[in-house]
Amino acid sequence: MKHIIIIGGGVAGMQCASELAQQGVRVTILEKEADTGGKVKNWHKLFPTFTPASDVLSGLRHKIAKADNITIKTGCEATQVTPNSVRLASGEELSCDAVVIATGYTLFDARIKEEYGYGIYDNVITAADLEEMFNKNDVRLADGRVPRRIAILHCVGSRDEKVCQRHCSKVCCVTGVKQAIELKQLFPSADVFNFYMDIRMFGPGYEEMYREAQQKYNVHFVRGRISEVSPTIDNRLQIKAEDTLTGRPLKIGVDMLVLLIGMRANDMNTTLETDSGLQRQASGFMQPKDAFLGNAESNVEGIFYAGAITAPKNVAEALCDGATAALRVSDWLRNK
Amino acid sequence: MFAAIIIKYVSWLRALPKSDLVLLGKGLVSPQTMMAIWEVVCESLLHRRIFRINKRLGYMHMSLAFGWFLLIVVGWAETVAYLGARWVPLQGHVFFKYFAALNGINTHIAIFDFVMDLLLMFVLSGVALAWYKRRNSAKLGMKRATQHIFFDKIALTALWFVFPVRLIAESITAAIYGGGGFLTGGIGKLLSMVVSDNILEWAYEPIWWIYSLALGVFFMAMPFSRYMHIFTEIPLIFLRHYKLRPQDKEKSYDNFEVEACSRCGICIDPCQLQQQLGIHDVQSVYFLRDRRYNMLQQKIAHNCLMCGRCEQVCPVGINLNTLRLNSRTSMRNIPNEGRYNYLRGKDYSMGEGRVGYFAGCMTLLTPNTLHAMEKIFTAARENVWWADKDGGVCCGRPMKLTGETDSAQNMMDFNKRLFKQHDITTLVTSCPICLRVFREEYNLEGIEVLHHSEYILRLIQQGRLRIKYNAEQTFTYHDPCELGRGSGIYEEPRAVIEAIGKLLETEHNRKNALCCGSSLANTVIDDKQQLSIATNVAEEMDSTGAKTLVTACPLCKKAIARGTRSKVVDLSEIVAGNLR
Amino acid sequence: MINFGFSISRPRVIDIDRNNLNKSKEIIAEMPELQACIGCGSCTATCTAGNLTEYNFRKVHTLVRRGEYQGAYEELNKCMLCGKCRLVCPRGINTRGVIMLIKRKLGDF
Repeated sequence: MKHIIIIGGGVAGMQCASELAQQGVRVTILEKEADTGGKVKNWHKLFPTFTPASDVLSGLRHKIAKADNITIKTGCEATQVTPNSVRLASGEELSCDAVVIATGYTLFDARIKEEYGYGIYDNVITAADLEEMFNKNDVRLADGRVPRRIAILHCVGSRDEKVCQRHCSKVCCVTGVKQAIELKQLFPSADVFNFYMDIRMFGPGYEEMYREAQQKYNVHFVRGRISEVSPTIDNRLQIKAEDTLTGRPLKIGVDMLVLLIGMRANDMNTTLETDSGLQRQASGFMQPKDAFLGNAESNVEGIFYAGAITAPKNVAEALCDGATAALRVSDWLRNK
Repeated sequence: MFAAIIIKYVSWLRALPKSDLVLLGKGLVSPQTMMAIWEVVCESLLHRRIFRINKRLGYMHMSLAFGWFLLIVVGWAETVAYLGARWVPLQGHVFFKYFAALNGINTHIAIFDFVMDLLLMFVLSGVALAWYKRRNSAKLGMKRATQHIFFDKIALTALWFVFPVRLIAESITAAIYGGGGFLTGGIGKLLSMVVSDNILEWAYEPIWWIYSLALGVFFMAMPFSRYMHIFTEIPLIFLRHYKLRPQDKEKSYDNFEVEACSRCGICIDPCQLQQQLGIHDVQSVYFLRDRRYNMLQQKIAHNCLMCGRCEQVCPVGINLNTLRLNSRTSMRNIPNEGRYNYLRGKDYSMGEGRVGYFAGCMTLLTPNTLHAMEKIFTAARENVWWADKDGGVCCGRPMKLTGETDSAQNMMDFNKRLFKQHDITTLVTSCPICLRVFREEYNLEGIEVLHHSEYILRLIQQGRLRIKYNAEQTFTYHDPCELGRGSGIYEEPRAVIEAIGKLLETEHNRKNALCCGSSLANTVIDDKQQLSIATNVAEEMDSTGAKTLVTACPLCKKAIARGTRSKVVDLSEIVAGNLR
Repeated sequence: MINFGFSISRPRVIDIDRNNLNKSKEIIAEMPELQACIGCGSCTATCTAGNLTEYNFRKVHTLVRRGEYQGAYEELNKCMLCGKCRLVCPRGINTRGVIMLIKRKLGDF
């Protein structure tokens, strides 16, 4: 029986594993964390349908549990990859017939954008922190109070030469709108301001959600990037931006600032490039063999990609990628 | 030649502003004159400073200058010895061998022959090195040699010819008439053995002609080429001892500095624009050259980090940054038509105290520093007047660096008035750019200006700040240009770091420290180029193995953080994080 | 009266057909990076001078690119060249260089 190793047990990797297993291939998932689920296990609800992220994960886990030819190795970090073998951090080497890399992305460290005050001021949080608060059903200020005015800042660590992240992380706009709605659902009397440079609603139902946020939830949208955040005497946050639509500087005091942190390429991608001969894009994400007809294949035969390893992607796309990669792998095994 | 030089000097001296003339008058009769004479010997002849930078280059320059000087002096003595005690001009020796031979002076004083040959060999070794340097500058410790203009090339070629031709001419003379020391005499004997007398007789006149032409061309070209430095360095050393300096605006004194540049090119190698970005036409040597020949372009004058790394190594000690600054002023200083009238009456400062804190524009973008300073002030129980926490007025130096000197003065006046109005006695700033202009140009009598590194060290020494020491914490430190080379503050930040943990030095540190690349002095290079320099600096810091990269300038911090994934912090942050 | 920010062009319409774009083309040719501006307003929000008076760098350079030069030089003279805008620009535009360039092209030196 052919053996495929999937590196990364996020949604793309899990989807790929279950599809491959159905085709009678032995699959091993290597997950560096203690549990599968990747980033999605930290999310609360998924845009634009507000589907609980846990529903998607339990669906995937259920499919995997049914298959008896899938092994999940958690706490396993892959350090070296060839088409026929994967070396683990423990030194162990696993042999295989093909490898699917589904290691996803890394969240941008908001502390690097020092002027936004993450890590300095308690009530500056990231979108990921907010998801965690939603999950715990505990959205509050550091001192336990309820926020009355909240700002959400788009493009933190995306489209920013100053932090060497030129690319658009794609999902933050939608996330910002989704979180604004969720915040308004929790605190109907609070004011929520989204500070954006462009609102990129690229998917089905997204534009409708944006309109709903404006119309139904009365979320405010200010076109301008926040430049500085400073504390006020009464322990709030003072935000400076330009309201570019009126061409005037804008100041606003808020209780909470949510930073929509972008996706950056994993540090491990450089190792993939140097040790495995895989091509990387300027953004640091891996380069698929072809943008249209070979988007699940790498430039090395026998190594495949699934999910956000090649570019920022949303959950639906990552799932779709997982299935595509499984198809490409089985094609390849058949023709080998 | 001498006429041209004298006309130049006299016109420059006449054009000196009155204040400079006063300095000159005062200095002339002081011990400074004697010190200047000594320095002329050390530098113009022996080239001590080049020796310190690079021994082989030093030897090359010394052999040429000192060797030639001695050839002239000893040659003169020789001529006098032969011709008896009568007036002989200093240049009398030039063709002495030629005329001596023709006039049948055949008695030879062996000691002169020997010394003259020794000196000629000394000079020739310098010429050989110079020639070798042109072909292969890296071997002499210079990665890049200067690219010269046409006039320089003529003078250079003539200079290269002068001494080898003299060697041949004197050797032929010795071959025909006898005499000469171990070198010319030896070659002469060899020549007389292998070459027929007819050919030697035939070559005798032309070779002396070539020698005199080469010498003539060199001296004709000299006042208009880089070799003007040979003489100009001498008055420059005197003027400098009389405390004349270049200033914000161009003045006649600058000519002495500009023309004292020998275009040796030592300033090229340390330039990071050259090392890192491959920009080869903006370095100080080219800047001074272009300025001297009135062909300076804005994009050359403004393409400089003004980090001071070249000034640090300049063997002539030219004030390269000040000269560049006043060139920029000449190009861009526009009449100030009340363009900052809007400043009138503005005051966003807060708090009260005898200690004032001026964060600086850039520090407002590094709130970690602000936050840390707040903690430090609280821990030291200092009452602080915050000058610009909610936005203030720029210190004026960035504007000045672009040449708009008069407009910058407006901002300086504003801030100065603000400081006086709030009655502070100490002014602390976190920004070395502000620090420098506060100290050098604000004339804040009664207010002590401190960089936060100095202030923090003082608090620690006074026991007002208690710091936790942990040898496990490793730091490396980047010297900001404006703080280190600019203000001479190297040890205070290091002392503060060493009170907290272990300091690991980078390869280039203190006076040789690299620039982060984001210097406000450069308005030409783009973002990618800035990043490239910053990445290089960050790599050097990372290679020390230190866990935390420390600097003491908000601009450096921002720049370096772009080039690494390691933690980059301001000095104040590690202090605030390790308070007891 | 409602203050709509400074106005440096008298007619309401920016008439690109009638505006002389030569200067604008020269400026862009010398610093093409200016075209990379996405109008996020970071420069204006952080601006030291803009904190004290009505001065909007983003607006001035956008108008200059459209061929609206009147008043631009005087507006840019309010700038202190402190460099904060360059430090925050997400597109890595050399804003200080741009300001000096526009002043040189539109001013008298």
